[in-house]
Amino acid sequence: MKHLKPLNKKAELLDKAVNEGKTEEVFQMTTVAGCTATLDPGWEVDVFGGVAALCQPMEADLYGCTDPCWWPAQVADTINTNPDWNDGLPSAQGDWRALQTIYPKR
Amino acid sequence: MWAYGQFMARTAFVVVLTLGLMGCDNEFGKKEYLVTANKPNNLHLIDTETHEIANTFPIPGDGAPGTVSVSPDGQVAYVITNHMESLVGIDLGTGEEVFRANASFDNIRSKHMFAMTVSRDGKEIYSFQTPTRILPGEYEVLDTQIAVYKADAGLDAKPVRVFPAPRQISVLATSADGKRIYGLGPSIFGFNAKTGDLEVSHKLREWDRPNYGVPDILAVWPTFENTDIVAAPYFVPRTDKAPDAPDAFKTGMISLDLKTGEVKTEDFENTSVLIFSMVHNPVNRKEAFGVYTQLTKIDQEKHEVSDRVDMAHTFYAINISRDGKTLYMGGTMDDVVAYDAATLKQKWAVKLPGGGDQGLASLRVVRR
Repeated sequence: MKHLKPLNKKAELLDKAVNEGKTEEVFQMTTVAGCTATLDPGWEVDVFGGVAALCQPMEADLYGCTDPCWWPAQVADTINTNPDWNDGLPSAQGDWRALQTIYPKR
Repeated sequence: MWAYGQFMARTAFVVVLTLGLMGCDNEFGKKEYLVTANKPNNLHLIDTETHEIANTFPIPGDGAPGTVSVSPDGQVAYVITNHMESLVGIDLGTGEEVFRANASFDNIRSKHMFAMTVSRDGKEIYSFQTPTRILPGEYEVLDTQIAVYKADAGLDAKPVRVFPAPRQISVLATSADGKRIYGLGPSIFGFNAKTGDLEVSHKLREWDRPNYGVPDILAVWPTFENTDIVAAPYFVPRTDKAPDAPDAFKTGMISLDLKTGEVKTEDFENTSVLIFSMVHNPVNRKEAFGVYTQLTKIDQEKHEVSDRVDMAHTFYAINISRDGKTLYMGGTMDDVVAYDAATLKQKWAVKLPGGGDQGLASLRVVRR
């Protein structure tokens, strides 16, 4: 942390928390297993480093992952952050083309 | 007259015996159905005899529907939905919403996080919750808990009891006598259903198995209604094997007997395919089954895979008929299939109305 300089108020708060030994414990979201772990690289490869053990077809797994926020960095989080992301698109295999990319809000 | 009386007595005896053999003391006239849900927010009742959708009920509000638990009398299906913030009860006869418990309140955003079940007498519903306090500049993670609701609390149900429960519990099930609530998580926890006291804890993640690493466990699908056994797969590295050895990783099954409380963890193969959900055969306890992109039959005596077939696509959820003859699979997409448990051949398939994905929705078996 000594090599990082806070540039905004939130960063200053984080710095302060670290210096005071008050960093919070990181909680995993839930029991993790299956294709890949929540904190592992992600949805693109399976636990064996290939694609054969991913859900087949891949779309079969899409909403099963977005619904409980399984891989928030790789697929949309429809449990909290983007609850409307797949509104009107109930079939991942049939409707995936209409799904939109999510960008950070400004 | 005496002969006539004897005849009537014998006839009555045969009728009673027949009904008893059929298990019809309270089952007369009931059929076996499947209950599942799909997007956007629908509940479905599937007739396993006609292989047709018996009823489809829209669940009021937002989806997506997830864990489903059915009351013991088969009348009400409880579903976690509304981005996991609501627990909704739908009457399976009329489609009427008869229960709703919203977990969030004030500045506490809380989720019914996967694990939910109904008490054995149908009077209470148990839900595992993960509350977070939303503050102006931060999230304050609060302790996880099990909330107890009265089933007759209506559309604005509030918990009548809340007790602490360890984090990451993903399946709840009650003991056969109804006195204990079991939670499957990093360990198997057993709570007193009335007081919430933690009575038993069986290690999983921190198990003491020589030469075994930490197991990876995925368990969000309740499959115990016909077996009284909670079953789930685990995947674990062997610490005494080279990483590229064929037996470096093992696949096994966790079994929690809801009648006795006994827990077993038994390997059955070197890890070769993934399995998401598992179920025991209620009639032939030597068999168990698991599904993901393959349907797997496990020989419980030899602790090995006895048969395996490829599925047309990945299915998350497996369940089994009471007579142990038919496997049911659902989850992920919009179809539910039935396979012969002996031959692993497909018997029938049904598409859910609307074509929406089931995703993580449970596939439950109910008699009504």
